[in-house]
Amino acid sequence: MGDATHLLLAAEAGDAQAAGRLLPLVYDELRTIAAAQVAAEQPGRALTPTALVHKAYLRLAGGQRYDGRPHFFAAAGEAIRRILVEAARRRLALKRGGPAGREPVELGGLAALAPDEQVVAVHDALDALAGIDPEAAALVKLRFFAGMTTTEAAAALGLSVRSAHDLWAFARSWLRRALRPD
Amino acid sequence: MTPGGLIGYRRETAVTDRELFVAALHRDAAGPAAFLAAACPDPARRERVKALLGECERLGGFLEPPAAAVPTFDHPPGPDPEATTDHLSQAPGTVIAGRYKLVEEGGEGGTGTVWVALQTDPVKRVVAVKRIEAGMDSWAVLARFEAERQALALMDHPNIARILDGGLHAGRPYFVMELVKGVPITRYCDTRRLTPRQRLELFVPVCQAIQHAHQKGVIHRGIKPSNVLVALYDDKPVPKVIDFGIAETAGQTLTDKTLMTGFGAVVGTPEYMSPEQASLNNLDIDTRSDVYSLGALLHELLAGSPPFRASELAVVLLKLLRVVREVEPPRPSTKLSTAHGLASISANRGMEPRRLAGLLHNELDWIVMRSLEKDRVRRYETVNGLAADVRRYLAGEAVQAHPPTAGYWLRKAYRKNRAAVRVAIAFFGLAVGAAFVGVYLALRDGCRAGG
Repeated sequence: MGDATHLLLAAEAGDAQAAGRLLPLVYDELRTIAAAQVAAEQPGRALTPTALVHKAYLRLAGGQRYDGRPHFFAAAGEAIRRILVEAARRRLALKRGGPAGREPVELGGLAALAPDEQVVAVHDALDALAGIDPEAAALVKLRFFAGMTTTEAAAALGLSVRSAHDLWAFARSWLRRALRPD
Repeated sequence: MTPGGLIGYRRETAVTDRELFVAALHRDAAGPAAFLAAACPDPARRERVKALLGECERLGGFLEPPAAAVPTFDHPPGPDPEATTDHLSQAPGTVIAGRYKLVEEGGEGGTGTVWVALQTDPVKRVVAVKRIEAGMDSWAVLARFEAERQALALMDHPNIARILDGGLHAGRPYFVMELVKGVPITRYCDTRRLTPRQRLELFVPVCQAIQHAHQKGVIHRGIKPSNVLVALYDDKPVPKVIDFGIAETAGQTLTDKTLMTGFGAVVGTPEYMSPEQASLNNLDIDTRSDVYSLGALLHELLAGSPPFRASELAVVLLKLLRVVREVEPPRPSTKLSTAHGLASISANRGMEPRRLAGLLHNELDWIVMRSLEKDRVRRYETVNGLAADVRRYLAGEAVQAHPPTAGYWLRKAYRKNRAAVRVAIAFFGLAVGAAFVGVYLALRDGCRAGG
């Protein structure tokens, strides 16, 4: 099963370093899957962030162990956030006529279902939220960036659906206040 | 934040902003301000949380996946005027679409929560409201629902709980159904200790309901005991099939998505899932899939458990799906003879264990096994075919489901005991060879002796 499974198992056993090393791995995996999707060109099967994260999970965890789930999804939420923000920033730069920055990477039309400006703004505010309440930030990554439902995100983070609802209300209120232009 | 940071997260202070916020949110009667004044001595924090609560009231669809923003769905784009927070729209007393007041939570399914609700307009009545979890694809759920609504509305059968209404509220799809005050058919039969004959009589109208739906072009896909409720009308038990079409509309089919999102939660009831539903990428599900699920239900009604138990299946998701696809299900009579609670299973059917096994042994075994064929071509073509065979059995006529032929059984036996058969053949070959050699040697010696 390779590195990811070992890291997942190590993270589950309490190895914080392994959990940290999971992120680049998941990040690469998400990009690889997205690129393969473009190569396969499946019309009518647009790749959503949710599908992408789930595909990566199946590939990395190999259907073997489901206990390391919160570690994987914490990493996947962060990875998908970076990918979407990167894409949003590039599009915004192009719109303003500036240079597109880094090499454009085809991601199969993968986009958050939110305006680019909002994606970037939420991204910028999220680190401050993570400082106060890391769990709230992790939920935002899965709900807002990865497009999971509250139930899915609750299962991914090992929360009850009810507390995920509460946490989501808290996170949204906090972000709305942080993003208000005053 | 690193993932390790999330897991290593520990509260430093006794009460966090979040905890205070959540506690105040649930304190609707006393008012959050009074609650905060009493609960939080720190004025700075109090102000912070108060400001957050103010934001919460005006959240609307902020950061929610835009259910109406997808062009293929013909609801007007833009924010939903009734949008509230997830939290608030989940509470009892919430009014959906201006006419359904949620009263009591009935349980959480794979895709949403079922509520008992009071309809106020145009008529006053109690209904069941199922709310689907919003997600990136809630527009797709709705688009499919819209497409099927016509078919669902056309379904009119005494054994089908009617779909009354449906739409979008606070960005999330909801369905309104006739409220059935019944219990799952298996539990009803067991508590009443119905005999196999009485169980079959109750099973036939279930088939008729499914057949009716098939004629209207609707496949249930989620037939299981908890979706077949028995309610008493004028002291007569009437089975009612619920959640019709919603299973499909809500995307509860076993596509990659639901398989992966569920982690066991959505897959939920693999006991009644047909082999073609258990294949990872199979979208080609037809009415014969319902025949299989009905067969699994009949198996449970007769033998006390579905062909495969959840405990046998719940090893690992992928292995579970392989079992459904490849492993031959045991006949009801076989399952019964190996069942742990044989005594109570028989008692629940008002019979002695040996008589029950004998009763199941022939035709009923065949009927169930024909419904559970892995290859759907070999199953009953329609639910009607299944119902007709059950009725033939009840009437004492010959059933159409045949006992498998001798050749079929030989093939099966070979496949099951391949290694043993090979060894046997090898030994046989060896024996024949040895005999030849023996005869040759004897003949040669004979020739020598003679010559």
